This record gives sequence, C-alpha cells and structure tokens, in this order.
Amino acid sequence: MKVFSSTCDFDYSWDEVSTANWRKYCPWNDKATHVVGVDTLSRTVDPSTGILRTERLITCNQSAPQWVVTLLGGSTTSHVYEVSYVDPVSKKVTMCSNNLTWSNVLNVRETVTYQPSSSATTQFTQEAKITALCGGWQKIKNKVEEASVERFKENAIIGREGFETVLEMSRRVFGEQRDLEKQKL
Amino acid sequence: MAASIAPECNEIKERYDTCFLKWYSENDHRADSNPEYLRGNTTSNECEELFTKYKKCLNKVLKERGIDTMLEDARKSSSETDSEFLRKS
Repeated sequence: MKVFSSTCDFDYSWDEVSTANWRKYCPWNDKATHVVGVDTLSRTVDPSTGILRTERLITCNQSAPQWVVTLLGGSTTSHVYEVSYVDPVSKKVTMCSNNLTWSNVLNVRETVTYQPSSSATTQFTQEAKITALCGGWQKIKNKVEEASVERFKENAIIGREGFETVLEMSRRVFGEQRDLEKQKL
Repeated sequence: MAASIAPECNEIKERYDTCFLKWYSENDHRADSNPEYLRGNTTSNECEELFTKYKKCLNKVLKERGIDTMLEDARKSSSETDSEFLRKS
C-alpha cells in the first residue's frame, strides 16, 4: 500500500467552499474535463445530527499511461463511488471515495475534508491509500502503486487550480445575484 | 453543473441539482441555530419530486450498464465510514 496526502488552504469561507464543492466538476472547471459525469445516487439528512449524507457516482475518462490501461483491461472509462458527509454543526465536509472500476486489481480509497481554518479561509486535506491487488507479482504491484501515486500528485495540483476557478466564479455569480436582488428591493 | 452519465437524464438532473444547490446555499442549515433544517424540513419538500424522477431515469441506465451491481458491492463498505462520520460531533 502507498499513501498520498496533501493539504492546502483556500482563501474562501467554509460556507463558500462547501457550497462550491457541489459544483466542483461544472463547466467552469476547465481542469477537470476528464470527469464526464457526476450523478447523485442518494441524499439524506440525519434528523438527530443534521449531517447531510450524499452518495454520488463519478465517471471519468482517464488518460492513464498506456501500459496501465492495457494491464487493467483496456477501458479508459472509470467509475468512482463517493459518500460525503456535511456536518453543519462542526462545519466539516468529509468525502470518502472508492474506485469501482478495476477494483479487482487496484484499490484506491480517498478521503477529502474541508474545515474552516479561520472565518475567511478553509483548510483542505486529502489522503489517498492505494493498494495493488494483483496476486504475487510484487514488482508489478509496486509499479502500479507508484504510477497511481504519481498520478495523484499531478492531479492534486490540477484539481486545486480547477477548484480555485470554480470558487472565484461562484463568488462572482452569487455577488451578482445579491446585487440584482438588492436592486429589486 | 456536471453532466449525467446518461444524456437522456441531463435535463431532469440539471433541474434537481439547481434545486438542491439553492436549498443548500439559501437554507440556513449551516448556521448553529438552524430551526428549519433540524426540524427535518430538508430537501424532501422542495426537491424530492425532482430527485425521484431523476433517480428513475438514472437507475435504468445504471442497470443497463451493469453499474448497479458494482455499486451494491461498494455500498457494503460504506457502513464503515457511516459509523465514523455520521456520529454527533
């Protein structure tokens, strides 16, 4: 198993970040064109805690290295199952995802959190645990795990840039909406 | 908002997503005192009808593509994260 983790701060309040997070893969994010579908499967609010639980299916067209694609059966479309929890009291978003595709060869478990680091900033943390499962071949397992961690590293930077764009656009659009409403009053 | 994996569900998905996001950003459910939200007045009222229609459309496609069985397996392991993150903080 290999672990990849990263953390960073966004210069936006938790309210803004947790809202924009739902549209992270919208057309504003030109850095996430590999995400071709985001479908909500279920959504419930726990009446005793107020925690919002959401299940989503995320579909990607990954540009994985050719040897990985070949090894994993030739398909470039992959599905990820994500369960997220929004705790409105402690102000914490936790998103746990698991790969559905290639799950017999590779297990990727990612946990992402968003928590306020001040009233105007939000801390992002990401941890991915990657385990190659192909029996026996330690060398290949290591190769697959290393390639996956590399890919996570690259994507983490791109992901952050893409989300920054979404945050900026969200603030602008919400600001414009507020101005419009003020004019109406 | 992002697209659905099923193009035929895109329209209803878009309507549901818009409804949800409005509820999420406008409903004061993220404040510490959130009477409306904690009384259980949640998505169900405003967006549930749209969600039911969207799910009906989506589930058909998930079944056709065999994704539903993959999801069943994945769901089994989500009880682990549920017990960790659905707790009162």
